Amino acid sequence: MTNELTLSVNGAKQIVSAAPETPLLFVLRNDLKLTGPRLGCGMAQCGSCSVLLDGEEVRTCVTPVSFAVGKQVTTIEGLPAVWAAKKGLSADEAAKTLHPVQQAWIDEQVPQCGYCQSGMMIAAAQLLEKNPNPTVAQIKDAFTNTPPSPHLCRCGTYAAIIDAVQRAAKAMKA
Amino acid sequence: MTTKTAMSGDSPLATMLTRRGFVKMGGTLFVSFAVPTEYLAQTAEGEDSLRSNQLDPTLLASWMEIRSDNTIVMRTGRTETGTGMSGYYTQAIAEELNVRPETISLIMGDTDKTPDGGYSAGFLSGMANVRKVAAYTHQALLKHAATQLEIPAENLTVIDGVVSGSGKSISYGQLVEGQHLELKIPVTGEIAKAAPGNWVGVVGLDGLKVTGEPPMRPLNQCKVLGTSFPVPSIPDKVTGKTQWSCDVTLPGMLHARMIRPATLGSTPISVGEVDKKQFPTAQIVKKGNLVAVVSPNEWEAISAARAITAATKWTDWAGLPGSENLTKTLRAYKLDAPPESRGKAADALAALAKASKKISASYEQPYVRHAPIGPFVAVADVRKDGGVTVWTHSAQSQGLRARIAYMLRTTPEQVVVRWLDHSGQYGRTTFGGDGAECDAVILSQLTAKPVRVQWTLQEDMAWSSVSPAWVADIQAGLDANGRVIALHSSFYSPHMFDPRPVGALLAGMPCSASKPGGWVATEWPYDKIQNRLEDAYGMPNLGAESASGGLRGNIMRTPGQRQQNFVLEGLLNEAAAAAKADPIAFRLEHTTDQRLIDLLKATAKAAEWETRSSPRKDARKAGTAPVNGRGVCIMIRENAYWVGIAEISVVPDTGMVQVTKFTIGCEPGKIINPRQLGLCMKSGVVMGLSEALKEEVTFDKSRVTSTNWDRYKILTMEEMPEIRIVTLSRDDKDFGGGSEGANAVCPPAVAAALFDATGIQARRIPLTPSYVTALLKS
Repeated sequence: MTNELTLSVNGAKQIVSAAPETPLLFVLRNDLKLTGPRLGCGMAQCGSCSVLLDGEEVRTCVTPVSFAVGKQVTTIEGLPAVWAAKKGLSADEAAKTLHPVQQAWIDEQVPQCGYCQSGMMIAAAQLLEKNPNPTVAQIKDAFTNTPPSPHLCRCGTYAAIIDAVQRAAKAMKA
Repeated sequence: MTTKTAMSGDSPLATMLTRRGFVKMGGTLFVSFAVPTEYLAQTAEGEDSLRSNQLDPTLLASWMEIRSDNTIVMRTGRTETGTGMSGYYTQAIAEELNVRPETISLIMGDTDKTPDGGYSAGFLSGMANVRKVAAYTHQALLKHAATQLEIPAENLTVIDGVVSGSGKSISYGQLVEGQHLELKIPVTGEIAKAAPGNWVGVVGLDGLKVTGEPPMRPLNQCKVLGTSFPVPSIPDKVTGKTQWSCDVTLPGMLHARMIRPATLGSTPISVGEVDKKQFPTAQIVKKGNLVAVVSPNEWEAISAARAITAATKWTDWAGLPGSENLTKTLRAYKLDAPPESRGKAADALAALAKASKKISASYEQPYVRHAPIGPFVAVADVRKDGGVTVWTHSAQSQGLRARIAYMLRTTPEQVVVRWLDHSGQYGRTTFGGDGAECDAVILSQLTAKPVRVQWTLQEDMAWSSVSPAWVADIQAGLDANGRVIALHSSFYSPHMFDPRPVGALLAGMPCSASKPGGWVATEWPYDKIQNRLEDAYGMPNLGAESASGGLRGNIMRTPGQRQQNFVLEGLLNEAAAAAKADPIAFRLEHTTDQRLIDLLKATAKAAEWETRSSPRKDARKAGTAPVNGRGVCIMIRENAYWVGIAEISVVPDTGMVQVTKFTIGCEPGKIINPRQLGLCMKSGVVMGLSEALKEEVTFDKSRVTSTNWDRYKILTMEEMPEIRIVTLSRDDKDFGGGSEGANAVCPPAVAAALFDATGIQARRIPLTPSYVTALLKS
């Protein structure tokens, strides 16, 4: 049955009408028109649908929307604001600023098809929050062995992702 | 001023299209230019071939708009597949027009907004088209500026879209403001159309080619081509602004989930019913073996589809051999003469018969698949007036349009295909067809509403087309010094030309069938081996007689050549070992091609290659301690040279192969974009190593069983080795295909490295622990 649920997404309060077991992914995409997270496997095996829930990466394809009630949801569309808040940027500055992870993804030209990259950037943002100075081995470990599954990229952009995470790490310390 | 060109606008047909084109472009005042006759090649094509296209390709306005703010819009039927070609097209246009690439935007792949059709895979021909259009336009603009400024064209220079001379200047935008720059573009070729029984069932997939030889910037003077211009689409992909094909929504649109048959050959006995209390808006749509659930709410469609899947009964079918019998089945297929053969048969066979020594080997690989991260998705709107609009991520918009029109028994003019970004497809949409589009068209027709069809990963891995399994035999004749003097290869495989859409097949609607055949795909790198014969035998899909067409074979990255190069390079490595020669030195002895020699030497140096024969002296096929090995392979493809050098570590007792370093070299003529080439080389290595070590489509007698990422494993970030890249650019050999090919040089190099470490030849991939342990124990 459909319920009215109150969510906090990218800093804004959103009231949605959905069956509580509906995966968060479909609510974000179809109701809130946040299309950064994308459907990949639908079974938490690839990471293309990842968002941050209270700062922790979740796979929205298997996360019921009801689980997100009372928590902060951050999609890639909301990453710039997270960074702006952290740096205390003015509204004008914030509007012109990307999250360092996103800027690094552009500077290193990471995306090829780009389908998996929202999830990759979410994973990178979480990693850098916990480990501001990761080694190559730690980056590989985080993107491969963090449950529930490795983040998969079929285009094979892993080397560019590692470069971009290290570039973002430098930018965030500056 | 108008001049009659090869594709004159004077005929009634062209005039009609011209008018239609102008209405669409909103052109008002026409300033006409002629392409000087000295640029034009003689063309003999008729105009009938252009009938099915909507924009007149002979009009500049169909290709390009120059706006008054000096920005430029260019249209091409090609699409971006993820390897950066939208950036390369932009660079080529900027180069010839003398504008900054940032001022150019592209419209790609929409059949009603682009003039030329064509493969996205063949970006070199697509780039040549826009480059020539830009070059013709540059000449016309110069001429126009000369008139306006009253300065001879030869005294004018153009910088950043501003024409200057003798202290006067005018921008391109000012030159054409309020006018319609009517420049005739000479073209040849045809737009895709259905051709049942012919090759892949559609012809004209190359699209139109811009002809003639307008003055273009010499490659050694390029300012934009050869620079690392950023791919224009990346910022929006990173910030979430891109509209992907999975993001399309239309008013009144229904979400659909397909309920696929229980096996590849099942027909429905009874279809479950929708529990309207639980799923009030869901409904079942059925046509033949095509069953789907639709609802305005995506989650309701998914939930109802799950319930109905469980309650639906299908007939049994068991027409596949099962993975364990794959090789035996391919070997047992009764073959006639090879449908494709290359080389001098009599000379090769005679030289083999005379050879002082012969070596031979058989190689094989199971089915593998493209396996994008994002499953197929499409939206279709079939309207009452018969008009059809389809939103797709297919790499072959015009080919897809032709297939949809064929399925609906309508004309291509009734169908519009709009292209948007999606997950990489790696070749499976190159011929059009394979995808969710026909599902969506059929469901939209039946429900009279726009329908979005989203396949699931499991469905995609079970029902999309595959890169066929193959077996091959190869024999080499050696001279007294162990050098190869003759070679005969025979390649056997279900064909890779069947991109028919499964939706149309299951619904029993018309599908333009392909012609199964063999395909010799190698480009010969060893000019000193003159006596050679390459035979390729085709056979139907496994399970071809089923309603779904069985395991539909399709092309996948570096198609045909990826497989056949594994055979050729495998045998070269075996011959080098037999001659106790260093594998790189052995290759150098078999070629005089300086481009190959230069790249081999440069890549070997970067890899710190130690000259010696394989296997290494302390090679071992048992033990729990790891042993290292190295191997090499080469390839020539589309005017690009490739070298791969793998270094591995293997634990013989566990069969665990770890690639520790991979050095890849590429010389693709003039490098268009050095940074993108490097990125594509590294990512291609990841895909190639994935195939070398892990990938296999498995199936039982009824269905594909490798239907998720736990069962169809691909390389993870942790498994990626250190990758070194070596690139050589040269200005005297035109452009080559640098974005594809990297994956193909991985498997032969890794297999050679395993031989170096263990002394055992691996003639099959993937090199999984179970295969490697069995091999080393045998």
